[in-house]
Amino acid sequence: MKKKIVAMLLVVSLAVSGLVGCGSSTTTGTAGKTNVEVPTEPFGDTIKYDPVVEINDGKDITIELWEWGSDDLFQQVIDGYTAIHPNVTIKLVNNPWEDYWTKLPLSLNGQNGPAIFNVHNSYHENLINYMAPLEIPLEDLQADFTGVDAHVIDGEVYYIDYGMMTGTVYYNKEMWAAAGLTEEDIPKTWDEMREVAKKLTIKDGDRLIQAGLNFNDDFHQNYLLGLNYQLGTNLFLEDGRTPNVNSEAMKQVMQMLVDMYEVDGIGSKDFGEKGADSFGQGQSAMVIQWGHYYNTLQTTWSNIDFGVFEIPTFDENPYAYNRYNGESTFGVNKNAPADQQAVAQDFIKYFLANDEIQIEFNLAMSTFPAKKSLADNEKILENPSLAVLAEHIDRYIWPGSMPSTMETSLKKAGQDIFYNGVDIDTALNEAQENIIRDMENSTFTSVENLYAHAE
Amino acid sequence: MKRKINSIILNVVLILVGIITVYPFVWMVCSSFKQNSEIMALEQHLLPQVFTIDNYINMNERFNFLRFFANSLFVTIAITILVAYTSTICGFVLSKYKFKGRNLLFGFVLATMMIPWCVTIIPKYTMIQEFGWMDSYKALIIPAMFSGFGIFNMKQHIATLPDEILEAARIDGANEYYIFHRIVLPMAKNGIFSIAIFQFLWSWEDYLWPYLVINTKEKQLLAVGLKMFNGQYSTDYGALFAATAISIIPVLVIYLIFQKQFIAGIAASAVKG
Repeated sequence: MKKKIVAMLLVVSLAVSGLVGCGSSTTTGTAGKTNVEVPTEPFGDTIKYDPVVEINDGKDITIELWEWGSDDLFQQVIDGYTAIHPNVTIKLVNNPWEDYWTKLPLSLNGQNGPAIFNVHNSYHENLINYMAPLEIPLEDLQADFTGVDAHVIDGEVYYIDYGMMTGTVYYNKEMWAAAGLTEEDIPKTWDEMREVAKKLTIKDGDRLIQAGLNFNDDFHQNYLLGLNYQLGTNLFLEDGRTPNVNSEAMKQVMQMLVDMYEVDGIGSKDFGEKGADSFGQGQSAMVIQWGHYYNTLQTTWSNIDFGVFEIPTFDENPYAYNRYNGESTFGVNKNAPADQQAVAQDFIKYFLANDEIQIEFNLAMSTFPAKKSLADNEKILENPSLAVLAEHIDRYIWPGSMPSTMETSLKKAGQDIFYNGVDIDTALNEAQENIIRDMENSTFTSVENLYAHAE
Repeated sequence: MKRKINSIILNVVLILVGIITVYPFVWMVCSSFKQNSEIMALEQHLLPQVFTIDNYINMNERFNFLRFFANSLFVTIAITILVAYTSTICGFVLSKYKFKGRNLLFGFVLATMMIPWCVTIIPKYTMIQEFGWMDSYKALIIPAMFSGFGIFNMKQHIATLPDEILEAARIDGANEYYIFHRIVLPMAKNGIFSIAIFQFLWSWEDYLWPYLVINTKEKQLLAVGLKMFNGQYSTDYGALFAATAISIIPVLVIYLIFQKQFIAGIAASAVKG
């Protein structure tokens, strides 16, 4: 028995070290410190960071930074900051996306939570009570970044957006060429889009072989919650609390989606279960996806040769092009010791003033920079999913951190229409009632009225 | 003839069930040698069309796999040994000692098995914070030292041991310490192995609690590391499958070594003596 156990343990250790040994022994998964050029002069636009000013009186201090996502990206900011302030140690704690939102509030509730943490605005209500306001003057934030006003709570700002993510059209270049289409055919309006999609659709009799456009599984996020703005209608009524999802605009958008599949035949609810996957699988010629899809295409679907264009509109001068959502800056833990909070505040100032870091973060997330001075940055415009947004970026609306019922109720409405034969009016009225009921206890108020071109 | 036909049918059914059970595992291992685009492709093949070991190579870039693996092994072995020991000693006391409140105590142990973990996790978290055990293996090992299932199982198992043997040992002058360690423990070997395998598996797979209490990357466990492949917008399936394929090796080895004792232990504890 002992021999058997020893033999088995040897097998395990050999197998593990053999398989893992295939990997580079120099990469340990811990992002190592890189050589960083230490600035000596103040930098930034209105928000200026002065590297000469000591932090924590030069005394050693350690804080934690919690985040999800790429260690390397965050380590890069930390390395830059700690090169200026060698007395500061920032311990990076990486988390899986889903469970971060369980662990973070638990930890912030106690004395030992992280001094600084990554924020996503969809969890605003769970986190805001643990956050300290930013110490950067509001007018400085407003001068350098767009969308700051939407984050003001009683005159204070707890986090802002460093980047804006929205939907663009991704098209398969091979299919495009095979259909005899050129760059000249890139549609500007929905009517043109439908015509192009018809040309990209391939059928064998009644059987769909290739969809011109696929919006399965994400029509609620990428069409219903955004195209209403093109028609001059907000998602919420003037009180900012009452949903407006059974509006004439929403009905028009929904009708267009139904007609695309049932009249034009450019796709089908039964063809390609998920539009995003179907495009990657070479089944569908076009999809509308948000910025993160650009990265997914680079990593998962690297064999697809794709192009990007801006979302079409119903007419030439829309009220707005689409909805956007912000990628948020860090939050400061108000329960952390004062000296740690001071470092956290200083770290955020460094993050906001540093253009290189802003560019890196926006490229990594495929978000358009909220920092005004970077709107025409060369590196940003090299990313096609961002370049197509540049011209009209001020024509996108953030409605605020909407409760999830907005998405789930509209998804159900769409499914009822496509799969259960429910008429559009009934389905959207039901969604409206659901959302009103679900939002009874929500503190959400829309910030659509803060849109720069609000009428 | 009829018996032979029944036997063939039974075997065919068992083979089919076996294939259905094992196929996802085989698919996962095969997929760990595929590119992500092939894993997600519309047309699926069991074997990789383009064979790659990049997933195993890239896996280490995401996290320090060997470190996580060693951490998991240490914590799992520590918990397994402790649970096997505490379960056996509690099972021995509850099955062989007669004292007032024994059944009440046993009922209390059983009740602990019926409380969902999600009810206790927040008070447990708060206690660990108060004790100052956060980011320490004490937070993983100490609360897991006693297992209601283990105690229940070992009580059932030890109850099957003849009282006469224990009485004979007492008459020969053996004290209770000696009886437990030299007589009960060896005789309960099969039951202990079955508890050990269950506990090993549960501890090895445990994700949420280690994730909640451990922050330092160097102390983190493998189950938490595996979750890191699930991103906000996408999942690196290739690397996830590669890491999972390696991570299940210890569990397989433990089962292969102890499978006879495991089956015997489960069978024995199912029969009340």
